[in-house]
Amino acid sequence: MKENVKLPITRRSIAKKGKSSMLSLRISASILGFLFIVALFQPFFYRVDPTYSDLMLRLQSPSLSGAWLGTDALGQDVFSRVIAGFRWSLGIGTVGTLIGGLIGISLGVSAAWNRGRLRTFLSRLIDIGISFPYLIIAVTIVTVVGRGFWPLALTLGLVCWPTISRVVYAETLTLREREYVTAARLFGIGSIRSIFTHILPALRPTIQVVAAFTFAELLIAESGLSFLGLGAPLGTPTWGNMLNDSRSYMVDAPWMMFGPVTAIIVTIFAANLLGEGLNAHEQSRSTRVSQ
Amino acid sequence: MKARLKAVGSRLLQLVVLLGTISTTLFLLLRLSGDPAILLAGEGAGPETIDAIRADYGFDKPLFQQYLMFIWDIARLDFGRSLVNSQPALGFVLQYLPSTLHLTFLAILFNSLIAIPAGVWLGAKPTQRRRKILSTVVSVAQGTPAYVIGLLLIQIFSVWLGWLPSIAGTGTWAWVLPTATLSFALAPNLIRVVAASIEDTTRQDYYRTAKANGAAPNVLLIKHSLPNALLSTTSLLGAQFAFLLSGALITEYIFAWPGLGLILVQSITNLDFPTIQATVFVVAYLVFFVNLILDQIFRIADPRLRRSQL
Repeated sequence: MKENVKLPITRRSIAKKGKSSMLSLRISASILGFLFIVALFQPFFYRVDPTYSDLMLRLQSPSLSGAWLGTDALGQDVFSRVIAGFRWSLGIGTVGTLIGGLIGISLGVSAAWNRGRLRTFLSRLIDIGISFPYLIIAVTIVTVVGRGFWPLALTLGLVCWPTISRVVYAETLTLREREYVTAARLFGIGSIRSIFTHILPALRPTIQVVAAFTFAELLIAESGLSFLGLGAPLGTPTWGNMLNDSRSYMVDAPWMMFGPVTAIIVTIFAANLLGEGLNAHEQSRSTRVSQ
Repeated sequence: MKARLKAVGSRLLQLVVLLGTISTTLFLLLRLSGDPAILLAGEGAGPETIDAIRADYGFDKPLFQQYLMFIWDIARLDFGRSLVNSQPALGFVLQYLPSTLHLTFLAILFNSLIAIPAGVWLGAKPTQRRRKILSTVVSVAQGTPAYVIGLLLIQIFSVWLGWLPSIAGTGTWAWVLPTATLSFALAPNLIRVVAASIEDTTRQDYYRTAKANGAAPNVLLIKHSLPNALLSTTSLLGAQFAFLLSGALITEYIFAWPGLGLILVQSITNLDFPTIQATVFVVAYLVFFVNLILDQIFRIADPRLRRSQL
């Protein structure tokens, strides 16, 4: 018998959708995994120290025998600096997402779980957080703590929590009305325990998707801040700093730009693909469950 | 009328709370980052100057009293003088407003000119192939930050081809590259929303009825789909306008475009608190008024809103 492919959901379409989302998940996860390995074991991937500068070798064009991606105005190896940038960017992205996730999830869940004044207060807080200009947060942290890895990660965490909060809040609102949560409440299970055993595990897929997209956004924000000179300490091998340096040498040394640009695009693309893959995977799973 | 006033009131309250939080942060910041009198006096100032400034600004008074004075000044829109060129901060910032508005309008214009036809094309006939094109465009654009686009455009069109100037004020065509950068950054989102809302209207009952009555495809699209779809697009355009006023700072920085974004970056680098504050306030007020105007446009354009809320 001919299968009716026009039906919105058929077994075949589910299987196909699941497969394609699994494929993009696998691809993006392997790219990101490889980049994290590069970041962790970076000294194995370059031949010249990223901060070693030799003014005799300044502004060398890329060559297979010398510097693969050329050298910058201080005679530093661009390839080494791009590799070193992975540790900085991926590290900041991870820590920033963790900080933002911690604040965002706890505030989002408590806003949705409680009713009355606390909820009103917390949702107003989230609204203000979303419209708060992120440069003010950045300049506050830089002035009080100074520049560096942890201040920047903290800044980005404080920038991204409201978005996470809003998503978690909306999801928790529907979750807390589910039968199993109500049943648990009727059995006298306390709020804290219910949140940890019923709400948080059910939130996991949503949080994964949001985390992947947040990670990508923080990479953009991090290199943007460094590019403006408000992020990483000057001279640190980060993509934003390298791009900012390259602006003065666009005519003489365009290669200074291409390394960091490629690294940024590849990393952000992989993180976005991971988010989309997780999202599609979750949707295909939930349609299968509801069948 | 009452509902409308209430909506305006809640927006106004949100604005006041936001501005209050920002000013308090900046107030504490100026005190945390060392002796503000020394910071205000600038480098190489003698002790008499510093003492004079301390008395003049009231830094010798208790902190709470200083805070009240600070808030009172801000309520009268007196942000003090810029630490860099000692002009009144608000006037200094307002000088740069026209050039930011100029860039913003150009970016919104070109963005809509590209994105609305593209979105309509995609949404009117959502075939598999068109969907694929859409998702590719969106994911490519999501993964390319504005500064990367800007730098690549400069490299290609200014350095290699030499067709267009890369720095603001160096020729009649200086607006092209910044506008292109911003349009490229904004268009994908707009394309997606236009396509989705056009597609959404084709599933509505009134659309099906019109189609069953034998309306021609073009009439269906122009008379029945577009007005509804563009209505939901307006709110995104408003959000993009708000983003451009403050968020175009990286683009302004790359192209040395003398606008609010560039001023904000410079004043942050110089720790020029009065100017930071004045810039943030100007942007917040503008966003507030743009949203108010958009609300009114919605009400005029959408008869359902008019009936329910008046």
